[in-house]
Amino acid sequence: MNIAAFLKALEATAVATKIRESLYVFPFLESTHVIGLALVFGTIAIIDLRLIGLASSQRSFKRIYSDILKWTWAAFALTALTGALMFITNATVYYHNFYFRAKMLLLVLAGINMGVFELTLGRKVESWDKSPSAPPLGRAVGVLSIALWIAVIFMGRLIGFTTTRAAVAAPPSNSVNFDDFLNAPGPPPPKK
Amino acid sequence: MNRFAEWLATTPPSVYIQNHNDWIIPLIQSIHIVGIAVVLGSVLMINLRILGWAGMDQTLRQTSSRFAPWVTSALYLLLATGILMVIGEPVRELVTFSFWLKMLLVALSTLIAVSFQRKLRADRQPVKWLALATFLIWACIIILGRLIAYDHVWGSWSPATKA
Repeated sequence: MNIAAFLKALEATAVATKIRESLYVFPFLESTHVIGLALVFGTIAIIDLRLIGLASSQRSFKRIYSDILKWTWAAFALTALTGALMFITNATVYYHNFYFRAKMLLLVLAGINMGVFELTLGRKVESWDKSPSAPPLGRAVGVLSIALWIAVIFMGRLIGFTTTRAAVAAPPSNSVNFDDFLNAPGPPPPKK
Repeated sequence: MNRFAEWLATTPPSVYIQNHNDWIIPLIQSIHIVGIAVVLGSVLMINLRILGWAGMDQTLRQTSSRFAPWVTSALYLLLATGILMVIGEPVRELVTFSFWLKMLLVALSTLIAVSFQRKLRADRQPVKWLALATFLIWACIIILGRLIAYDHVWGSWSPATKA
């Protein structure tokens, strides 16, 4: 199967269709994505600042790392899942979007950056665990990590500004909104 | 409020942002999200310490004083970028139900945080569940922030659907 057909197949899945037809699910996914990425950046920044020596510099690096990183990964899983669900609703458009591609590239670079750290300084934490900042390579990894994640967030926001939501088969005006919970009459159709 | 928003939209700073919408608004929003991340990450760490799931080599007081200055700075950053977004898109922000509910929750969570800090400084046992509630309130603040763009989900509660 070629990539275009694969993207079309993603868009045609039942999950993608359900998300497109709902007034609520896409905003909910977006919100959860923001909560997840806020936790990813908020927690990884604590580790990066410790590497650079700007915060928590009196604490053992290992301690901070093992306390926090599992939460970073849990938050990353949530962000990736909600991101994937948003992607399949309009796969072709996202796939060809410049900022989407830039974001994926930056994510890969952030992963490589982390991998470099794990394979070098991460293997001999004991030797610098108590010093207020990591050796030069570690400080560089910290700075790069913060910069890459901020860039990821910026690209993510630009995706939202350069793609429009997939056209829905059934207009959202037919679906439920908050009024239906209160038994109020139906709303006028939403504006573009 | 409608009239105020429409007036604000005609002021020079608002017009400037509208004319450079391509990059200014996403840029401000991204900085806003970074600020949110600092707050949410900090609130998470304080909560994990309260629950005993992380940072147990530090006292709650140490943990709190590690993160409090970052939260305070981030809140000012959020206020500044938030004001810029209101100036840039007054009608889109001010004429929504989500925005005002969000502001109410921001005020509530700030009050909780201040009383938590006071108790901690006075060496009294702070009400721990309030700190935990802060995390949930912040999750709601984030959701409402996103819903400003989708205010029609509130149906007739949204002033935007009447406009």
